Amino acid sequence: MPEPQQPEGVIAPTGMGGTMDLGAGEALTLEKTPGGPEGTGPQEKPRSLWSDAWRDLRRNPVFIVSALVILFLVVISVRPSLITSGNPLQCDLAKAQEGSQPGHPFGFDGQGCDVYTRTVYGTRISISVGVLATLGVALLGSLLGGLAGFYGGVWDSILSRITDIFFAIPVVLGGLVLLSVVTSNTVWPVIGFMVLLGWPQISRIARGSVITTRQNDYVQAARALGASNSRLLLRHIAPNAVAPVIVVATIALGTYIALEATLSYLGVGLKPPTVSWGIDISSASAYIRQAPHMLLWPAGALAITVLAFIMLGDAVRDALDPKLR
Amino acid sequence: MLLEVRDLHVEFRTRDGVAKAVNGVAYGVDEGETLAVLGESGSGKSVTAQAVMGILDTPPARITGGEILFQGRDLLTLKEDERRKVRGAGMAMIFQDALSALNPVLSVGDQLGEMFVVHRGMSRKDARAKAVELMDRVRIPAAADRVRDYPHQFSGGMRQRIMIAMALALEPALIIADEPTTALDVTVQAQVMDLLAELRRELHMGLILITHDLGVVADVADRIAVMYAGRIVESAPVHDIYKAPAHPYTRGLLDSIPRLDQKGHELYAIKGLPPNLMRIPPGCAFHPRCPMARDVCRTDVPPQAEVEGSGGARRSACFFWRECLDGRHDG
Amino acid sequence: MGRYVIRRLLQMIPVFIGATLLIFLMVNVMGDPIAGLCGDKQCDPATAAQLRQEYNLDKPVWQQYLTYMGKVFTGDFGTAFNGQPVTELMASSFPVTIRLTVVAILFEIVIGISLGVVTGLRRGRPVDTGVLLLTLVVISVPTFVTGLLLQLLLGVEWGWIRPSVSPDATFGELIVPGLVLASVSLAYVTRLTRTSIAENRRSDYVRTAVAKGLPRRRVITRHLLRNSLIPVITFIGTDIGALMGGAIVTERIFNIHGVGFQLYQGIVRQNTQTVVGFVTILVLVFLVANLLVDLLYAVLDPRIRYA
Repeated sequence: MPEPQQPEGVIAPTGMGGTMDLGAGEALTLEKTPGGPEGTGPQEKPRSLWSDAWRDLRRNPVFIVSALVILFLVVISVRPSLITSGNPLQCDLAKAQEGSQPGHPFGFDGQGCDVYTRTVYGTRISISVGVLATLGVALLGSLLGGLAGFYGGVWDSILSRITDIFFAIPVVLGGLVLLSVVTSNTVWPVIGFMVLLGWPQISRIARGSVITTRQNDYVQAARALGASNSRLLLRHIAPNAVAPVIVVATIALGTYIALEATLSYLGVGLKPPTVSWGIDISSASAYIRQAPHMLLWPAGALAITVLAFIMLGDAVRDALDPKLR
Repeated sequence: MLLEVRDLHVEFRTRDGVAKAVNGVAYGVDEGETLAVLGESGSGKSVTAQAVMGILDTPPARITGGEILFQGRDLLTLKEDERRKVRGAGMAMIFQDALSALNPVLSVGDQLGEMFVVHRGMSRKDARAKAVELMDRVRIPAAADRVRDYPHQFSGGMRQRIMIAMALALEPALIIADEPTTALDVTVQAQVMDLLAELRRELHMGLILITHDLGVVADVADRIAVMYAGRIVESAPVHDIYKAPAHPYTRGLLDSIPRLDQKGHELYAIKGLPPNLMRIPPGCAFHPRCPMARDVCRTDVPPQAEVEGSGGARRSACFFWRECLDGRHDG
Repeated sequence: MGRYVIRRLLQMIPVFIGATLLIFLMVNVMGDPIAGLCGDKQCDPATAAQLRQEYNLDKPVWQQYLTYMGKVFTGDFGTAFNGQPVTELMASSFPVTIRLTVVAILFEIVIGISLGVVTGLRRGRPVDTGVLLLTLVVISVPTFVTGLLLQLLLGVEWGWIRPSVSPDATFGELIVPGLVLASVSLAYVTRLTRTSIAENRRSDYVRTAVAKGLPRRRVITRHLLRNSLIPVITFIGTDIGALMGGAIVTERIFNIHGVGFQLYQGIVRQNTQTVVGFVTILVLVFLVANLLVDLLYAVLDPRIRYA
C-alpha cells in the first residue's frame, strides 16, 4: 500500500502558521554522488557527508546571515539589558499610542509602554518557547519514531495509527481547546501542548529516515557481522538518520515561535503581564487604525526571527541534500 | 559524409571549476556505416553524442568550439526550431536505461505515436496504428494489446525494444545508441543488439554505437573511435584495431578483456585512474598511465598521425604509434 | 481498487475514533461542561445536578463518549450555548467556510502552481531568487499578522475592501480573506512545484522528449508538468482539511461567521457539544480528503497499483 497521504517531508499542513515545512516534497536523500557532469574524475580525498555539508554552509551567505541573526537573538534573549536600559513593564499612560521620539525609537503602545523595550524583552519568550518545544518534540519524536522504524512490526503499526490520529486534529484548534482553561501564566503549558501535538511530525520523519538507513548495505554488513541491536542503532543508524530530523526540527523551531504568537493572539497562550510579541501584536490590533507602529515592530521582530530559523533549516537541508546541486 | 564532427569542444561549468569534457573531437559516419565510440566513463563519448543530438543541458554545459555537419548543414548554426525538426526525424537517439528514459505516466503507444503527431501532423488514431506497427517491427508480442500499457509493465528487454522503435519511428538517417544494452541482462543483450543491427541494415541508416564493451563492437561495427579525456586517441577500421592497436590506451583496453584461450594468465589492468577533467594532464593526457611514456609525452600534445599503409583510414594520437603497432612495450 | 478502498475505509475508523475521543477528552477533562451549558449565568446547584444527569455527565467519560457518538450518528449533535441545535450552526457556518476554502484552494492552484512552474524553469535567475525569497517571507510571517496587515492596508488605508465580511460572506468578499488563509500553503505550493519541476527537468524522460524533437511547449506541458504536478496535487488535496480546520484565525480577523468562528465561541463558552460536533465533521473531511487524494494518485501515476 502506498502512503501518499503527504508528500515525503511534509509536515501536517495546518494553513494556520502552525507547523509547516519548507521542504514539502523535497525528500531528503542522503546519497552522495560525485558532482558535475559525467566523470569529473575521482575525488581527491573521501569527504564525509557532514564535513562536506559544513564546507558548503560556510560559503553560503544565507546560512551565515541567518546564523548571525539567531546568535544575536539568543544573546539578547539572555541579556536584554545589553541593548536597552528600559523596563518593559514601566509604562506611562499619558504617553499611550505616541509615535517615535528621542530615546523611544519605536514609540509607545496602548498602555504607554516603550515598544522598543517590550520588543527586545519579547525575544526571551519566543526563543525559549521555540528552543524548549523543539528539544522536547525532537527527543520524543525521534525516540518513538526511531524505535518504531528500527523494530517495525506491531509497535510500528500502532505508532503509525497514533500519528495519523494527531495529524487529523488541526493544531491551532487543539491549542485553543487545551490551553483555553489553563490558568498558569508560564511558558510550560504552551511548550507542553507543542510537544504533545508536535512529536508525531518528527516521529514520522525519524521513522522514515531510520527505515531508509537500516536498508543500507553497511548496516546489513554490520548486522551480518553480529553487531548487537543497540550497537547498530547507536553507531550505525542514528548518526546517518539524524540529518533529516535536524533539518525539520530547525524549521519547526521557527514555526513554534509563530505558533506561540498565534495562540497568544487568540488569547489562550501567554497573558499579560508576560512580555511576548504575540500579546503585543494582539493588543496592538485594537489600535491598528490609530497607531499601526505598535503592531509593526513586534510583528517585524517576530517575522525576522521565524525567517532566520526557517532559512537556517533550508540552508542546512540544501547542504545535506546533494541531489539538487 | 552523413555526419561529420569537426574539432568539437564542450565544457561544463560547475561550482568547483570548469570541466573540459570534450577537447577537439573529430569523427564522421557515412550512410549505412556503423561507428563504435569506445572509452571509459568520463571520456566524453556520451557528451559528444549529446552535443550532436543537441540535448546537452546548457548551462552547465557549453559548446565552446567546432562544427557538427549533418547532411551538409552545420547544426550548431541552425535556429532552435530548425534544429528541433532534425531531432527525431533526421537523427534519433537510443538511451541506456529505457525505464528512466521513457515517461512513466504515458502509455508506450502515446509516446511512440507522439513522433507522428508532432513531426508528421497525424491524427491520434493514425498515430496509434503506427505505434502498433512499430511495436510489431521490433517484435513485441501482442503489440495491439500492449500499446496501451505503461513502460513499467514491460520487461527490460521489451522496454529497450520500445526505445529502439521510438528511434526508428521516422526512419532517420542517423541513430545514436548510447550504451543500448548495458542495463540489460546478458542473455537479452545479444537479442537487442542483433535487432538493432538488423533494422539498421534494412533501413540503411548510419549508426553511432557508444559503448565500453569491446565484445559488442567486434560483431557490429565497421569503424572504431577510441576516446580518452575528451579526445579521440585512435580511429581505425574495426579489424585493424583488433589485429594490432596503434595506441597504448587501445592496447590496454584490449588486453584487459578476459579471454578464454588465456585461462590462468593474470588479467591485465591499465594502471591508475581516468583523469580529472578539471585538471587534464599536460601533453598527452594518457601519459601518467602509459607504460610507453617518455619526456615528450609530458610536454607536447601528440597530433593525430596517419598510420602508414592505411590509406588515411587509420589515425593514432600517439608519438610512438609505430612501436605500439609492433607490440614493443617499454614498461 | 475496490478492496483497497474498503481497507482504507476500515483503517479510517480507528483514526476517526481516536481523533474524536482525543478532542472529547480534551474538552471534557480540561473544562467544566456545566458552566458552558448554563450560558453566561452562574448555574445554581440544583440545575447543575439536573443537567449533569441529563447529559450523562455523572457517567464515566468513555460512556459519555459512546452516548454522544451514538447520537451523532443519528444526526443529533446536541445543543449550542445559545440553545440552538449544533446542526443549525453547522448549516449556517459550513457553507461560509467552504466558500472561503474554495477561494483559498483556487489561489493555491492558480498562483502557487504558476509561480512554481515559472521559477522551476528558471532556477537561479533573478525571478527565481525573488519569488523564493518572497515565499520565505510569507511563510515566516504568521497568518494573523498577514491578515491584520492586509486588513489595515486594503481595508482601512486604501479602502479597497470592507475590513469585515458581512454575514452573507459572498465569494467577492472572501477574496482577500481567502488569500490570507491560503498564504502559507500558497508559498509551499510554489516551492513544491518549483522543486518538482526543477528535479524532473533533468530527468531522462524529459531528455528523451527533447531528443524526439518535440517543441518546447509540448515537452513542458505533456511530459514535464504531468509528472511534476503529482506531488503538488497531493499536497493541495491534503490541504483542504487543514484549511477548513485552520480558518479560525482568518475568520476571527475578518469577522467571518464560519466554522472557525463557531468553534471559537464554543471553546470560549466551554460548550462541549459544539466543539466536539464541529471537530468530528472536520476530522471526517480531513480523512475523506486524504482518501480521495490517495485514489487520485493512482489515476495520475499508473505505476501505483492498489491491491
